[in-house]
Amino acid sequence: MAQPQDLLYSKEHEWVKLNGDVATVGITDYAQNSLGDIVYVELPRVGATIAQFGNVGVVESVKAVSDLFTPIGGEVTEINGGLENDPALVNREPYAGGWLFKVKLSDTAQRNNLLAPADYEKEIAE
Amino acid sequence: MTTTSNDVKRTALYDEHVRLGARMIPFGGFEMPVQYTSILREHDAVRHRAGLFDLSHMGQFILQGENVGAWADKLTVNNVATIKPLQARYNIFTNAEGGAHDDVIFYRLEGRWLLVVNASNAPKMWEHINAHLGDSGVKLTNLHGSNALIALQGPKSLEMLAPHTDVDIASLKYYFCAEGSVYGKHAVIARTGYTGEDGFELFVDGTDAAEIWSKLLADNRAAGLEPVGLGARDVLRLEAGMPLYGHEMTETITPIQAGMNWAVKLTKPEFLGKRALQAQSEGDTFARIAGIVMAGRTPARAGYKVFLGDREVGEVRSGSTAPSLQNQNVATVLVEKEAATPGTLLAVEIRGTRHDATVVSLPFYKRSS
Repeated sequence: MAQPQDLLYSKEHEWVKLNGDVATVGITDYAQNSLGDIVYVELPRVGATIAQFGNVGVVESVKAVSDLFTPIGGEVTEINGGLENDPALVNREPYAGGWLFKVKLSDTAQRNNLLAPADYEKEIAE
Repeated sequence: MTTTSNDVKRTALYDEHVRLGARMIPFGGFEMPVQYTSILREHDAVRHRAGLFDLSHMGQFILQGENVGAWADKLTVNNVATIKPLQARYNIFTNAEGGAHDDVIFYRLEGRWLLVVNASNAPKMWEHINAHLGDSGVKLTNLHGSNALIALQGPKSLEMLAPHTDVDIASLKYYFCAEGSVYGKHAVIARTGYTGEDGFELFVDGTDAAEIWSKLLADNRAAGLEPVGLGARDVLRLEAGMPLYGHEMTETITPIQAGMNWAVKLTKPEFLGKRALQAQSEGDTFARIAGIVMAGRTPARAGYKVFLGDREVGEVRSGSTAPSLQNQNVATVLVEKEAATPGTLLAVEIRGTRHDATVVSLPFYKRSS
């Protein structure tokens, strides 16, 4: 499928939406589809400092545990509390209600390490 | 069945799975569907309507001869000679130490016996049986590759299958079987399964499998029948407290430890591994399989450590979210005796943090009928 054009992507199948120096992070539709029914998401704590591409949590589907990497580094300012009671939001709305956490960027140049929509589409087509 | 270049085999239903959009994974030496739509959706179909499974990867052997019963009684824990014609029985082949070599089902047909073994154990079981044939007069034939196995499981399976078979399946009791036809094709129809629901297993020739599979689906889609993959099958069997070889039973985890004592007939004069199982049973100090329900939302997975107080007492063998239990997280654990009593509070270590869990009686789920 075509990816949302206003986002940047990582090779680990996360997306980033930049708004000034704050980034919203989620996993892509391709990722949620590969994982299957998501039953639990472990997110970084608000206030934690996380490094770009670091391991910051896990996403658990019915049968598997997958590491969650952050496509962008900085200070975690907010997590999606709605996922605690309804982790399947990530399956249903990966680019909307299923977002994971927000980060205040430590360095806006990190965006240069991410993929444009067309490049991510090539990545998952391989 | 065919073999691809990397030696992963395909069942007679492979093309059907691809056509249905299944995600295929290697399992037990075969390319098998793990899910078609979603594990939760397929699980729901089996619990409330019915699901269709391809189990053609399971090993199928034919045993023939007058002494099959007496011969098999010496290699397995349950009674075989007392199985009536057209009856099925769960059984376990053990090793000399009492460990499980494989768990199997014997189906006694007219003039022959059908033995169904786990896919990954099929080569091992072929060798084991051949090595123990001796002068028993028992003849062994391998159907692994020519026969298919389709399972129809769920509360609506009887009404979905009945119009398409000449066998009076409504009168077929649980763990009995019959020979007849399904959509005009020869089939052994058994009222067996591994989901905790009512259902049937159809042993058919590989060349008939795709037609039977696709007709059953087409005729019953409107009534809620769905194809079901290995992912949902594992959740269903776990909820139903059914052991899976390699998890709750292994070469070193005995049937007694797995809680399958009902299948272990220590009154039999002899069988391979009996002495070890008898000693274990009388000693009653062994680590055993127990069920736990996690207090929180984090699932326990195979291999996680289990604690009673500060003491490590065992490990998780299978774990999943249980849709039939309001999505609580359940698991089987292999733990020391004192940690296995229902009501005991345990902790499971998950990524460095201990999470509360309570021991419960198995099965987690039992159908209401």
